[in-house]
Amino acid sequence: MSSRLAPPKVGPFRPGAFASPARSERTAAVLGLALGVSFGICFLTGLYSHLAQHPPSWFHLSARPAGLYRITQGLHVATGLAAIPLLLAKLWTVFPKLFSWPPFPSVAVALERICLLPLVGGSLFLLFSGLANINLWYPWPFNFPLAHYWTAWITIGALIVHIGAKVSVTRRALRRSAPTLTDHHDDSAATVNAGMSRRQLLATAFGVSGLVTLVTVGQTYGPLRKLALLAPRRPDVGPQGFPVNRTARAAGVLESARSSEYRLEITGRGATATTFDLAELQAMTQHRATLPIACVEGWSTTQEWEGVRLRDLLRRAGVSTDSTVRVESLQPRRSYRTSNVDGSQTADPDTLLALRVNGAPLDIDHGYPLRLIAPNRPGVMQTKWVTRVVVL
Amino acid sequence: MTTNGVATADAAAVPATGDRPGPGFWIGLIVGGAVMAFGVRGVFMDSRGTRPVALAGWIVGADLVHDLVIAPIAVAVGWTIGRLVPRGWRTPITTGLVATGVVLVVAWPALRGYGRAVVPDNPSVQPLAYGTAVAWVLGAVWIGVAIWLVIRWWGARSRR
Repeated sequence: MSSRLAPPKVGPFRPGAFASPARSERTAAVLGLALGVSFGICFLTGLYSHLAQHPPSWFHLSARPAGLYRITQGLHVATGLAAIPLLLAKLWTVFPKLFSWPPFPSVAVALERICLLPLVGGSLFLLFSGLANINLWYPWPFNFPLAHYWTAWITIGALIVHIGAKVSVTRRALRRSAPTLTDHHDDSAATVNAGMSRRQLLATAFGVSGLVTLVTVGQTYGPLRKLALLAPRRPDVGPQGFPVNRTARAAGVLESARSSEYRLEITGRGATATTFDLAELQAMTQHRATLPIACVEGWSTTQEWEGVRLRDLLRRAGVSTDSTVRVESLQPRRSYRTSNVDGSQTADPDTLLALRVNGAPLDIDHGYPLRLIAPNRPGVMQTKWVTRVVVL
Repeated sequence: MTTNGVATADAAAVPATGDRPGPGFWIGLIVGGAVMAFGVRGVFMDSRGTRPVALAGWIVGADLVHDLVIAPIAVAVGWTIGRLVPRGWRTPITTGLVATGVVLVVAWPALRGYGRAVVPDNPSVQPLAYGTAVAWVLGAVWIGVAIWLVIRWWGARSRR
């Protein structure tokens, strides 16, 4: 190396500028592994949620297991929250590398370092935007699901590059027999720092991660709901004892939902156009189903629903009970006004157009007079204030 | 590669990332590059929703905010603890501060009521008194830190 490439001996470029013994290859490797698993879980569960909401022709949202989406989406949000302290600890650990000199010693290193920009920026953005979204806070001009979804692909791509670059270093660092410099220096750091050892740093990162989980996961895991002090939702708070995402007022259905003119209409391909008023729906055979409502924002709760089977209605309209249908709401044009029900879900005996929940008529914020409730669906697709079923 | 103080003269003699890139690096670069390209393509395909310029600003901005604000603050806090706090107390205090920082980040939107402002007619959004909730969590954290300090102090005294 020529003197041309000697590091500038100022500020963070100084030798020993970062004194903490907790910044070791092993710390970075352990946190990297944990983050790789977390981001992997978030990516796969997020992909599943995206496919469920925007199914390509090859994807069919199965009805069973009924609680699958509840688990995948609960995991998505809980894992993202738990990853916040892990990501911050990881970035703290590798921060000195930002000042490594020369910055681009080879093409490979240059490529790898360039990919850190979308990796770090993308990871921070995904966790921050996810946190904001579960709080219904949108301090940006773009559409959250689209921005979060496509940034996830970019970030995972950058993560794959990073894993390729670090796999041998990580493997070496995780081997117990390979002591790192810090192992000898754990409690004897001569320079000024917060004095944490590697183990203490890792214990703090994972401990705080556990703390965040403990005080938020109750929004989807009922037994811990009383501890969900920092969760934006409580699964037992809301009209009739569970949360609401869009209220009747926000949806603009306060009058139409209560109108005596209300009708349910079955139409579409091959269907004998059939309409039902509320009394006719109530006179049909009522069925009960215990099903979760699982919001994309990570909260979920199981309730006792009661109403008519969607397949019974289709039979009355003279179409096959496993037809794919579009369910339409009373709400005027807005996102999530309609949702499609795949044939596998239409045919399921638990797929109801519910009139009641927990023994009482639906609250207007829960979709009075009629809402869709089916197994294994994202909450935004459990369409409320249903007025039309169109056979596709 | 040295483990801390990467910017030492030794470290500078070795490429910043240590080992020569093996086949794993090039495979990762090709596969990861393709996945990234797919994501970028998606951003532009859905550009009406994703607003590519604004989104890029947020991603690069996240990098800059971390590198220029969050990380220097963390380093400065660590340095201050090293100066002001007796050696045996540093780890519990640092742990308490890290927990406090993360709790405040996670609770921030609810604490500020940002969600309630969007949907004021929906009391099931952010239903708690989050100031009190955060006080409970941080109270528990710092009681834990205090117990930890007492145990350390007790251990140090009985060893003497």
